[in-house]
Amino acid sequence: MTAYLVRRLIQMVIVTILSAMLGYSLLYLAPGGPLLFLQQMQNTGQRRVTEEDIARLKARYELDLYLPIRFTRWLAGFPAGPIQIGGVNLISPDTVVGCAIPGQVRLRYPDGTVEIREEGCVRDVTLADLAQRRTSRGILFGDFGLSQQIARDRPISDLLMTRLPYTIQLMGVSTLLAILIGVPIGIYSAVRQYSRFDYAMTGITFVGSSLPTLFMGVMAILIFSVLAKDAGLPYLPSGGAQGIRNYDIPWIGTVQAGSALDRTLRFIMPCAVLTFFNIAAWSRFIRSSMLEVLRQDYVRTARAKGVRERAVITKHALRNALIPFVTLLAGVLPTLVAGAAITESVFNWPGMGRLLVDALGRSDYTVAMAILFISTVLVLIGYLISDILYTVVDPRIRLA
Amino acid sequence: MKILDKKIALALLLALVVPVLAACGGGAAQAPVRETVVVTAEPIRETVVVRETVVAEGPTTAPSGAFTTPHPILGDVRVRQAIAYCTNRPELIQSVYSYLTPEQQEALLMDTNLPKTHWAAASETDGIVTYPFDPEKGKALLDEAGWKLAEGASVRTKDGVPLSLEFTTTNAQFRITWATVLEKQLLENCGIQIIRKHAPASWWFGGASGLRRRDFEIGAFAWVGEADPGGRTLYACDQIPLPDNNWNGQNYMGWCNETASKAITAANNTLNREERIKNYKAFQVEFTKDMVSLPLFQRLEAYAWNKALTGLKPDPTEYITANAYEWGRTDNGDTIILGFTQEPASMFTLVESAAVQRQAAQLVEGVLTTQYSYDFQPVLQDGLSTIESGKAKNEVVEVKEGDKVWDATGAAVELKPGVEIINSDGETVKYESGSVKMNQLTVTYDLISGIKWSDGEPLKKADLELAVKIVCDPESGNVSLTFCESHDNANGVTFNSDTSYTIKYLPGVQWPIYFTAPYGGYPSHVTLSDGRKLAEVPAKEWATLPEVAELPLGYGPYILKEWNKGQNMKFEANPNFVLGAPKVKNVIIQFYADTNAAVAALLTGEVDILEKATLGAGPEVETVLKAAAEGKIEAKTDASPTWEHMDFNLFIR
Repeated sequence: MTAYLVRRLIQMVIVTILSAMLGYSLLYLAPGGPLLFLQQMQNTGQRRVTEEDIARLKARYELDLYLPIRFTRWLAGFPAGPIQIGGVNLISPDTVVGCAIPGQVRLRYPDGTVEIREEGCVRDVTLADLAQRRTSRGILFGDFGLSQQIARDRPISDLLMTRLPYTIQLMGVSTLLAILIGVPIGIYSAVRQYSRFDYAMTGITFVGSSLPTLFMGVMAILIFSVLAKDAGLPYLPSGGAQGIRNYDIPWIGTVQAGSALDRTLRFIMPCAVLTFFNIAAWSRFIRSSMLEVLRQDYVRTARAKGVRERAVITKHALRNALIPFVTLLAGVLPTLVAGAAITESVFNWPGMGRLLVDALGRSDYTVAMAILFISTVLVLIGYLISDILYTVVDPRIRLA
Repeated sequence: MKILDKKIALALLLALVVPVLAACGGGAAQAPVRETVVVTAEPIRETVVVRETVVAEGPTTAPSGAFTTPHPILGDVRVRQAIAYCTNRPELIQSVYSYLTPEQQEALLMDTNLPKTHWAAASETDGIVTYPFDPEKGKALLDEAGWKLAEGASVRTKDGVPLSLEFTTTNAQFRITWATVLEKQLLENCGIQIIRKHAPASWWFGGASGLRRRDFEIGAFAWVGEADPGGRTLYACDQIPLPDNNWNGQNYMGWCNETASKAITAANNTLNREERIKNYKAFQVEFTKDMVSLPLFQRLEAYAWNKALTGLKPDPTEYITANAYEWGRTDNGDTIILGFTQEPASMFTLVESAAVQRQAAQLVEGVLTTQYSYDFQPVLQDGLSTIESGKAKNEVVEVKEGDKVWDATGAAVELKPGVEIINSDGETVKYESGSVKMNQLTVTYDLISGIKWSDGEPLKKADLELAVKIVCDPESGNVSLTFCESHDNANGVTFNSDTSYTIKYLPGVQWPIYFTAPYGGYPSHVTLSDGRKLAEVPAKEWATLPEVAELPLGYGPYILKEWNKGQNMKFEANPNFVLGAPKVKNVIIQFYADTNAAVAALLTGEVDILEKATLGAGPEVETVLKAAAEGKIEAKTDASPTWEHMDFNLFIR
């Protein structure tokens, strides 16, 4: 078991670095970025931006460094200047690690057309230049660096910490509710296959799993917030984690902004949408898993031996039916932290999912990479936990 | 036998593939001439040197540079004018703003590069050419230019070449909508075919693609108009982006009309407003006559607010928060809530220029001057520092080799032979030797007395000094240092008192808006959480400080008390505000994920104000206008200073 865990941990580190490399490279290739706005303004008068200004801004956001150097500085804060051991340079401090001003080559074709391409470099960035720059300790050491757009020049960790509690609250409660409701529904549907309950649940879960959360969210706002209010019925606030102004709800009275009641009312809709969505998916999963197990010979044998039906289901069938469900739950761990991007956006919930959407929309790739990195690590941890849980729920499995 | 089959099959395959490859590759291409462009840190100031590195073998008939061959279709002014006449602009406006009344739609029409309400806008009485929708005129011009419509054809041709042009713009839904209508109009009305290409904004506005590389035939985008029209970099002859000048400039059409170029340059380098108006009008006459860029319409902007609010001044060229200290409520409420769909990135104005940041900053920092109705008004500045007021003087000085001056391209340089400057007569001349007369501007800026920081500390000379020091420090994150360089950074500033300073600009600097105070103060007395005084902190750290980027001290009407990331910013009235404590005690900026949610919040009374950047001009505007018509809220629309237009590229590569 110990050898297995060590092997898995080493694999996890490699996979983490490889996936970080892939994600970082993809975002590196993505258009946009913190300097895009410069092209959309009149470059004139008191705000004229020179090539020197652009070089300075590129240096500020590390856009003038070659991809491998940017990546290693982001990952491990290395290199932060000349690479030395005991004061002796391992490699020359003049080693080129980037390009401040790219060179250009003009291709003049015989047909008269001219093309200009970036090629070579006019002003290099060297290892020695890096010593003058601020450097993070690297994401591997828990330093996510600074935000480039959303909270410009402020630590990403601060930004994440303002969002994390809201996401954990929303995802934690909705996941728990989905398990507590979805699993029994799935079991009961399987045990009472083709009953009215089963048909009803099948219909409802098909609706739940077919409709995207975006649609469900908007409809929920329309019905429970806008139409209910217009009809003079008790209604739910349309979004946000807490109110900023007191409001009146029929039958309930005045709700104080920021009070526990206010927070609870605002929590109900996003939580319900996510719970409904998960119940729909998970109850179907449990149902089919249970049906498969209930048809097994050992279940028939147990019944033939005269074991009570309740014991057959809970002791013999359920435990085996839950094995594939454990794998499914491994995927829950990253969403507990990374949030539900669409639901959070629809309900204006200030969580990590909405932050990711904002970060991608505003080309804040350092923030986006931080969230993607956390998700990657949590996915890997989730799978490790599910593998270990296998041995708990299925004694036949041995990790070696 | 099997081996023979395989060989036959291989031979057949080769026989098929080789001609295809040959056809795709064409003949052996002649090698291009490779030249290395020497790029310098400040290319505008330096001559770009092109050095031959590889010489093509064989004779070449290549012209001397790119974009010297007139466009075979758009090079003819009659075709451009025909496109203008064949474009039904009211219909384009109708396609995107169908919910406006005909009068409101007509108010968005533009005839020149300036909105009709702008102080420098020219009208037909000034001699501009207007292009009302007149397809008959358009067709006649095309016939005259040789583009004929054959019997039964839908597209005109000339010598067998169809009148077909590529039309490039962004893939924003708004532009797809009106461009679809335009495509239909030009084809049906005049037989002009446009092939629409909707590219991502990152490509269209990219640093080395799209507009910057003049990679278009007809290109559509928007410019943002301002109180000061500027315009030199957009229309002057020396502002045409070319490979030879490292693609510098924003005259993407490649338009060079000497009269227009001189007029726009003079308008940008003259301090006298009457003189400026004269030059701008002369420019607009040439601009409309040559029809190199067709102004389509001003975008719409809208505001909506709670009926209980008073004192709001929505305006196209000023932010709604500029007069927040005058806001009030008729229902005795003590809080006003603004809804934003974007959160400011930082409260440090030097590193963030988004509209949402400016509005939040105006509440905390206050405003020295406002820009209502395309003009300037003093607020915390003690009167505009105009020449007429006696606070500014524009003297003729003699400069000689070695002196620091402002050159014709707008950069601080040491005067030496070959440097182009604008002399005191307004002429662009090349300096040779000896002394030359140039204009030198000296302006004294006074702030009103009694300004106090929100903690009660009065504004001091040290605060003004600190502001100039930080703004002009390249490490602070300031995007452009052009203005600082125009007065030789701190060397050109004299601090007269706690509320007054004088700037002596370099000879040659003629900022048209010289009269508005460029610097306020930074609170030098603030002590950071680590015990350091703000004045002692190096500029490169400023953007990272919570005391600067998150909860800064200001002398504006409100104090930022709380910033809940992703949720809201809470402001409280500043009792020390120099114009008197605001009437409303609290202002809150609440963030919403999208405009829809913000509008829903306004209609349910959760939010009081949605301003132009939040409302945009999409279907949500129709919703708020309907609600206003029903008497639920107040709403107002305006012609935005941002205007859509089509540029014609006059040359091909």
